[in-house]
Amino acid sequence: MEASEDVSPARRADRPLAVLAAAGVAAGLLAACTDEQLGPPTEDDAARFLGQASLACTPSDCADLTQLGYGAWLDKQFAMPLSTPLWNWARDMGFHAAQYKSTDVGVDNALWFRLVNASDVLRQRVVLALSEIFVVSVRNMPVPWGQMLCVSYWEMLEAHCFGNFRQLLEQVALSPAMGVYLSMSGSRKEDNSGRRPDENFARELLQLFTIGLVRLNLDGTPQLGANGEPVDTYNMADITGLARVFTGWNLDGYDGTTPGYTQRPMAFNQADHSTLDKSFLGTTIAGSTPGQQAFQQALDTIFAHPNVGSFIARQLIQRLTSSNPSGDYISRVARAFNDNGAGVRGDMQAVIRAVLMDGEARLRLSPLPDDEMGKLREPILRFLQWARVVKLQSSDGLWSVGDLSSPERLGQSPLRSPSVFNFFRPGYVPLNTTMAQQGLVAPEFQITDESSVIGYVNFLFGILPNGAANIGVDYSDWLPLASDPARLVDRINLLFTGRTLSAALVSDLSTALATLPLDLPDGAKRRVVTAMLTVLCSPEFLVQR
Amino acid sequence: MNHNHITRRGFLRRSGTLSLATMAAPWAMNLAGMAQAAAAQASPTDDYKALICIFLHGGNDQGNTIVPVDDAGYALYARLRGALALPRAELLTRQLQPVTPSAVGTPTLALPQALDKLRPLFNDQRRLAVLLNMGPLHQPTTKAQFQQHSVSLPDKLFSHNDQQSVWQSYGAEGSTVGWGGLIGDAGLSRNAAASLTCVNLSGNAVYLAGQQAGQFMVNPLGPVPLKAKDAANLFGSQACVDAFRSLVSTEQPTVHRLAKEHSAIMRRAMNTNSQLIEQLASVSVPPARYVDGNALAQQLSTAARIIAAHGQLGGAGGVKRQVFFVSMGGFDLHDNFQGTHPVLLGKLAAAMAQLDNDLRDMGMLDQVTAFTASDFGRTLTSNGDGSDHGWGSHHFVLGGAVKGGQLYGTWPDVSDFEAGEHNIGQGRLLPTTSVDHLAAALAGWMGVTDPLALQQIAPHLANFPGASPLAGLF
Repeated sequence: MEASEDVSPARRADRPLAVLAAAGVAAGLLAACTDEQLGPPTEDDAARFLGQASLACTPSDCADLTQLGYGAWLDKQFAMPLSTPLWNWARDMGFHAAQYKSTDVGVDNALWFRLVNASDVLRQRVVLALSEIFVVSVRNMPVPWGQMLCVSYWEMLEAHCFGNFRQLLEQVALSPAMGVYLSMSGSRKEDNSGRRPDENFARELLQLFTIGLVRLNLDGTPQLGANGEPVDTYNMADITGLARVFTGWNLDGYDGTTPGYTQRPMAFNQADHSTLDKSFLGTTIAGSTPGQQAFQQALDTIFAHPNVGSFIARQLIQRLTSSNPSGDYISRVARAFNDNGAGVRGDMQAVIRAVLMDGEARLRLSPLPDDEMGKLREPILRFLQWARVVKLQSSDGLWSVGDLSSPERLGQSPLRSPSVFNFFRPGYVPLNTTMAQQGLVAPEFQITDESSVIGYVNFLFGILPNGAANIGVDYSDWLPLASDPARLVDRINLLFTGRTLSAALVSDLSTALATLPLDLPDGAKRRVVTAMLTVLCSPEFLVQR
Repeated sequence: MNHNHITRRGFLRRSGTLSLATMAAPWAMNLAGMAQAAAAQASPTDDYKALICIFLHGGNDQGNTIVPVDDAGYALYARLRGALALPRAELLTRQLQPVTPSAVGTPTLALPQALDKLRPLFNDQRRLAVLLNMGPLHQPTTKAQFQQHSVSLPDKLFSHNDQQSVWQSYGAEGSTVGWGGLIGDAGLSRNAAASLTCVNLSGNAVYLAGQQAGQFMVNPLGPVPLKAKDAANLFGSQACVDAFRSLVSTEQPTVHRLAKEHSAIMRRAMNTNSQLIEQLASVSVPPARYVDGNALAQQLSTAARIIAAHGQLGGAGGVKRQVFFVSMGGFDLHDNFQGTHPVLLGKLAAAMAQLDNDLRDMGMLDQVTAFTASDFGRTLTSNGDGSDHGWGSHHFVLGGAVKGGQLYGTWPDVSDFEAGEHNIGQGRLLPTTSVDHLAAALAGWMGVTDPLALQQIAPHLANFPGASPLAGLF
C-alpha cells in the first residue's frame, strides 16, 4: 500500500471478510482463526501482529514473520530455548556483590539487558504481561539482595510461561520474591497470644492472580445472584481459612550474608504450619494434613475454580491486544484455557495462541465498533519499539538504562510497580471521558495524566538523539531514508504501527521534515530523530489498533 | 541525558532529579515576597477556601495511631496487639488533652512518638481534630447485621483498590465520580481557571473527578515545561514544532477515541502548564523543611504554592474554591510493621506540620482544611510482624477553621480478640462514623448548599438518624 492511500478501517476489513466468506466461516467465530483462513500475513499484518505478540517490530522481525506465517512463527517462538540465565548475568556483572546488598542496583540493568536484546520475543512479551498480573516489585523488597530476588523472579516466569498454569501458579507461590513481597515467607500458625497467620498472600492470590472478587460467566461478565447483584467469590472467612494453608514456609537458607537464597524456592517447616482445619471456597482441608500436601490441595482447588479461565483470559487479552475485548473473544480464550483441545486445562501455549489468533485480534472482527477495539500502548513497549529499531547498545555492558518509572520518564518500568496492583488495573476507567460514561476501561490511562504526558515527551527528547551515558544508538540503517521524507515516515509507519497512521499525519509530518536542511553534518539524523520523536509522541501511534 | 542507574533503596517515586536541569527559575527562598503575595490574596474580602485530601495508600493501622494509655485501656491494647504494641512509657508523656471531656467509656488516648509534630496542633493550637472509627457505611450497622449481611454494606470490603475507590466515591473500582470532584463542581463557576479547580499532585484518583470538574495533575516538584514547544529543541525548525504540537494534541474527529482522550490530556497539559509555571514563578513558600525523602511533604509544598497563587490563577479574581489530592503509600504493613509504621507516621506528621507552618506564614490558616483518608483500618491482632486488613479507622482533620483539640465520634468497643460491639474479628473495627459524615461536613464548610449536590456528596447521610458525630467540626 502507498503511504498516501486511504487506509480507513472499512477498506481494510473488506479483505479479510471476503477471505473468510470464501472459506465458509460463519459470522460467529467459535475458535481462533487458522493460517488458512487468514492467509499469509502482509508486512502490514506482520507489523501489527508483532505489536501484539512481541516487544517491537524491527525489519528483520517483520521479514521473518511474513516468510514463516503466523502458525510457524508461533511454533518457532514456543520452541525457543531459554536465553542466558538472567541471575547469572546479574552476578557476572557484579550486582550480587555485598556493596549492593541493601540497594536495588542491578534489577533495571538485568531487565533492560533482557528486553532490548532477547530474541525469544514472544516469551518476553508474555513474561512482561505475567509480571503485571503476578506482580512483584523491587520497590517493596526490604531484604538483602532484593534486586536479585526480582531477577530470579523474571527467570522463573521465563521458564514457566509456556507450560501449564497450575505449575506456573505453584512456582509463583513458592518463589522467594513473592514470599517476601506478599509476606507469605515467615507466616506462622496461630498461637495463644492472639497471633494469627498472615493473610496477605491468600487474599491477593485469589483477588489478583486467579479468580477475582465476583463469579464470572465464561464471557467474563459477572454472574448475578437472586437479588440481581454480582456474587462474591469469597468472604473474610475464606481468606482466614486459606491463610492457614500458607504457614510454615520460609526463605531457603537465608542468613543475610549471601544472595544464594534468592534463587531457591521457599522451604517448608511443619512445626510452623497451622494445625487448624482450613476452610475456603467450599472445601475443607483437615488440620492434620501435612502442610506441603495442604499447599498442593489448596492450589488444586483454586486452579479448578470455574472463574480462572475467564479471569486470566481477559487480562492476557488486555496486555496483548485490546482493553475491551468482546464477551465472545473472552469466551474463546477461556475455552482454550479450560481445555486445550486435548483435554488439558491450563495449557498456556493454547491460551496464548487463542489470544493472538482470534478474529478480533487479527481482523478486528467483532461486535464492537472499531474505536472500542485496541488499547493504549504501555510506555515500556513504546520505549522498546524505538530501542530495538535503533539497536540500543551498552558500551560498558552494564545496560544502565535505569529506573524509568517516574512521571518525568516513562511512568513505568519492569518490576517497579508501586504496589501489587501493578501500574494500572484491568478495570481502570479513565476519568471525565466518554469511556467513563459508557463503562469502557482503558488500563494504561491510569498512568496517563497532565504531568506524565509532558514527562514522556521530555524524556524522549532527551534520549532520542544520542541515547544516554554508556547507552548508544545506531541510526545508520535509517539515514539513507532521510532524503525522502515520505519514505522515512512510511517506514516508521510500517514498523511502529503496521501502517495505521492517518494519511493526514503522514503528509503533515513529511512536509515538516522537508524543512530540516540535509546539508548539515547531522542533517539526515535530525530528520530521522524528528520523525521518530513525532510518531512516538502522537496519539495515533500511542493507540495500538 | 544521564539515566540515574544507581538508585538507593527507598528512592522515592518522584525524586526525578535528572529532569530538573532544564526547568524554569529555581524556587526563590523569599519569605517576604511570599507573604506579600499571599497578603494581597488573603484580604478580608477574599473568600477563598480549599480542601486537601491526604490519602494513605494501603490501609493505615489505626491501632498504633491513636493509642489508649490509661491502665485498663493500655492493658487491653497490649494484650491484643502482642508484638506490635508500643511501649507504655513512650505514650505516657504524649497524651491527648481534648478541650472538652471525652464521652464516658473513652480511654485516655495518646499519640505515638512518631506523631510528635502533630501533638501540639491538637493540644495547644487546637487546629487538629481526631475522627474516631470512621469508614464507609450505608446506614448504622451492628455486628450482627454485618455478620449476617442483613443490611446493605459497602461493596468489596477489605479489597485495597475497591476500598480506595469507595472512600473517594462510594463505589468500587470503576466508579467515575468522586465527592471531592462534586465539591469542585459546586465551586466551578467562581473560578477564573476552571481547569485548576481540582488539583492532583499524586496519581490518578477518582476522588477529584466531578461531573464537570476534572482533575488536573501537577508534578509534585512543580509544573514542568514541555520541551517540544521550543524550536531550539527541534533543531531550530518552527515548522517541526508546529507539526509536533498539532499532532500530539490533534482534534481530528476521525482518530480512535483513545487517541482523542490522550490528545485532550496533552492539550490541557500544554494550555494550563505554561500559565501555571508563570503564575507560580513569583510565588514561593518558606524553605520546605521536610521534603527530603518525604514525597508527601513535597506534594504539600507545591500545593501550598498553588494556594498562595490562587488569586492570580486564570486571571482576574483567580480561583475561589479548590480541592487537592495528595498521597503517600506503604501502609499495607502485613509485615515489617514495627520498623516501618513509625517511619511512615513520622513523614505524615512532618508533612502536615509543614503545611500548617506554610499556611500560617501565608496568613491562610482558616482557609484550608486538610484531612487524612485511607483504604481501611487494620486488625488489632498481629500475624507476628504485621497486621491485616480491617475497616473502620481513625483519621485527622487539620485547619484553622477546624474546632480542633477534640475527639469526634465514638471510641470503638473492642473487649477481647473477638468480643466487642465494634469488633468484627481480630480487632477489625465496625465503623460508627461514616465517610458521608465527613464529606457533608467538608462540603458544608466549602459553602455547598444545593440539596441535590449535597445528596450526591453524602448519599447515605439521610440513613443516619440524629446529629452527625462531626456536627461541631467547624
